[in-house]
Amino acid sequence: MNIEKDNTFVSVDDISFLQLSDSFFPTGLYTTSNGLESLFYNKDKKKLTYTDIFDFIKAYLSQQVGPTDCSVIGNVYSCIQKGDYSTLLELDSVYYFMRLIEETRSASIRSGIQLLRCISSFADNNEYVNFYLKSIKDGQAKGVYPVSFALSCNAMDIQKERSGLMLLYGFAVSVVGAALRLGILQHYDGQRIIHEMKPIILSNVTKNINRSYSNIWQFIPQLDIIQMHHEQMDSKMFIT
Amino acid sequence: MSVSRIPRIGIGGPVGSGKTMLIEQIVPILKDRGYDVGIISNDVVSKEDAERMRKNLATEKGLMSEDLVIGVATGGCPHTAVREDPSINISIVEEMEIKHPNLDLIIIESGGDNITTTFSPALADYFIYIIDVSSGDKYPRKRGLGIETCDLLVINKIDIASYIGADLGIMERDAKIIRGDKPFVFVNSKTGQGIKEATNYIIKDILFNATPKSKITT
Repeated sequence: MNIEKDNTFVSVDDISFLQLSDSFFPTGLYTTSNGLESLFYNKDKKKLTYTDIFDFIKAYLSQQVGPTDCSVIGNVYSCIQKGDYSTLLELDSVYYFMRLIEETRSASIRSGIQLLRCISSFADNNEYVNFYLKSIKDGQAKGVYPVSFALSCNAMDIQKERSGLMLLYGFAVSVVGAALRLGILQHYDGQRIIHEMKPIILSNVTKNINRSYSNIWQFIPQLDIIQMHHEQMDSKMFIT
Repeated sequence: MSVSRIPRIGIGGPVGSGKTMLIEQIVPILKDRGYDVGIISNDVVSKEDAERMRKNLATEKGLMSEDLVIGVATGGCPHTAVREDPSINISIVEEMEIKHPNLDLIIIESGGDNITTTFSPALADYFIYIIDVSSGDKYPRKRGLGIETCDLLVINKIDIASYIGADLGIMERDAKIIRGDKPFVFVNSKTGQGIKEATNYIIKDILFNATPKSKITT
């Protein structure tokens, strides 16, 4: 279906921005808690508070999702601008190996591939989406989520900075969703956390969206270990 | 690599209705007739059902390899995992299709106790909904998407009907009214009563009486 662009007050791109930001968009990310479930079942039986959830999200955004995922998004847009297919595949590989937890790696790939397939089912024929899907099929790429996400956003004419914003916002919402389902928060608190997280999301997008490929980093060892514990739990609601 | 789609059955129903045991009864009959099956089990909290099926069907009976039983954590949203956003399940099914192209059937089990449980057609080609008599003989009459729209309704634990005052005649009458021409079967998964009939529906309606892949000579 072709939709005429209407620039009178908002554009179709704005609606695409909402569509891909919506937790209803099928990516399977609601199945992950990023280790929050492991914290919830901590051996000291310490009850998690509003502040714990806020700090948990903030730490991820500042130390991992910002400097890694958001930076990967920015670099994918640079690759598209330069027509640099080779670095695009390198980003896929680097991101894959930076995910230290096996369940997290496989969840990223599963969500990434499903997102791309969904987008390619209705977005205009996009050469970068097609290239990445073919590379996955040929075993040249894994299909990690931030690369898939950036390519999908680009295919929907969403600007680079907004793509970073969407990913970080989506991460915050997914953790709040997990906290609600675990009974840690009630729904008003969940929305308050998202509201109070806005400047942190913005600041991390600003700091990281133009970060160069060679300066992508992450450092969140405690949360990595928590995720490793979660991966080994016998009984759990969430994929790590 | 091009992989053809393997027929998929979704089995849904309330917690404790007997989904896992139904699978444990059906798979040996299918295997006996030559059909190879893979299983994906969506559970609300644990992977206990998957581990039980792996032990019973793979490790002990040797009816399949252990990697053909996969447990999936659903983030507390089993209905979402098989209906609104089946992305993760679809991924796992596709991985299974690539790794085991000779399977004849993939069974996807979903936990959850909501009578609105249904499977996305993108995920499952055939949908079995299972209830049990312990919830009372009013259950079919109360309708719900699962009971009304499934391809096969299975009513389990008929052996305890008389102990809890459930009238199977009422359940049969109401199931006929609600489902029209669509089939339903009474079963006792513990003894195997009715299981062959349920399996025959699977072979006829989803496998189309096809020759098992293992018996096809090229």
